[in-house]
Amino acid sequence: MMRSVLTTLGPWGPVFFGVGFLAPLISTLMIDWSVTPPLGLSTIQTGLIIGFVIGLQAKLRGRWL
Amino acid sequence: MNINVSETQSLAGLSDKELARMEMNIARKYLNRFSWFMVFWCFANLACWLSLWPLTMTGILPLWAAFPIATLNVILCYLPSHDAQHSNYAKNGDLRWFNELIGYISTIPLVLPFKIARITHMEHHTHTNDPELDPDYGVKADSWWQAIITGIKRRQPGQPNSYGAVLQRLGDDPVVKRAGLEGLLQSLSFWIIICALAWSGYALEAALIWWLPRYIGSIYISLMLSWAPHFPNPERGRYRNTRHFESPLGNILVMGMEHHIVHHLHPGIPLNWNAAAYREMKPVLDARGCRSESFHG
Repeated sequence: MMRSVLTTLGPWGPVFFGVGFLAPLISTLMIDWSVTPPLGLSTIQTGLIIGFVIGLQAKLRGRWL
Repeated sequence: MNINVSETQSLAGLSDKELARMEMNIARKYLNRFSWFMVFWCFANLACWLSLWPLTMTGILPLWAAFPIATLNVILCYLPSHDAQHSNYAKNGDLRWFNELIGYISTIPLVLPFKIARITHMEHHTHTNDPELDPDYGVKADSWWQAIITGIKRRQPGQPNSYGAVLQRLGDDPVVKRAGLEGLLQSLSFWIIICALAWSGYALEAALIWWLPRYIGSIYISLMLSWAPHFPNPERGRYRNTRHFESPLGNILVMGMEHHIVHHLHPGIPLNWNAAAYREMKPVLDARGCRSESFHG
C-alpha cells in the first residue's frame, strides 16, 4: 500500500516542491525586491505559476537546471 | 606501545600476525573511550542551529549572517551521529539510549534518518569501494571539483538513490523495514515543516537556514567524508580501500577525515582520537602498504 502510494506520488515530488515551497518563496522575494507581478496577478499567484512550471519541468527533464 | 622512526624500517620484515598485534596494542589505547568532545559537538552544534530560528524571526540576527552559520551547522552535524552509528557512546547498558539519542538528534539539520544512516554506513564498511554494494561509491570522481558536480547531479530528480537501493536489497529484515518507515516519516516531516514555514511568511528563513544549507552541506559532506578518504576508489581490502591524505584545508575544514584509514581499521575509536592513533600507528600502516597521499591523489 505504502509502496504503491510512494511509487505514484514520488515522481511528482518536484511539482509538490514547486507549489509547496518555491511558490511562497518566489512571492516573498517579489515583495522584498518590489517586483510588480504581470497581468494583474498577485505575488502568490505568480509564485504558484512559476513554482509549478519549474517543478513540472524538473519532473519531465529529470533535472532542476 | 610507541614506535620511533628508526624502528619503522625493521617493521617491514615483521609477519602479518606481529604487525596485527602491534596495531591492536595501539588501537586498544583509544578504543571504547567515551568522547565528551563529540557529545559537546553534537549538542552545541544543534543548539546553535536551533537558535538561528528565533534569532532571525525576531530580527536579532540578519539572514545573510545566519545562512553561512546554518551551512556550517549542517556540515558539522553528521560526525557526532557517525560515532553513534558505530555505537561509540555506548554499545549497550544504561547509556545505550544516549548513544541512540545522539544518533537521532545530531543530524536533524541534515535530515538524515539515523537508522538508515547506520544501515547504509555498515554496508559501506563491509563493501568499501565495491561498485555494486558500497552505497557511497556514487561519489567516485577524478577530481574534487568533479566530485562536487557529481554530488549535484546525484541530487537531481529521478536519480537512483543508493541508500534506497541498500534498503531494497536488505528488505526482508524488520530492522530495515523500520528504518525505511522512520526515514520516510522524517523526510516527509522536513518537507511539511519547510512548506508550512514558507506559507506562514517565513519562506526566506526556511530557505536560508534549512533548505539551501542542507543542499550545500550534504554535497560538502559527500566530498570530504566519502570522496576524499577513498579517492580514487579502485582498491579494496582492509589496508588499501581507504587512505591517509594531506589536507590542503587543515584538519578542521576536512573534519579529521585525513585520518579516515584509522576509522576503517578501528571504527570503535572516537573521531577526536583518530589523529593521535594514526600518528602512533603510522609505522605499522606504512609496513602494511597503506596509502598516504596528497588530497588529489
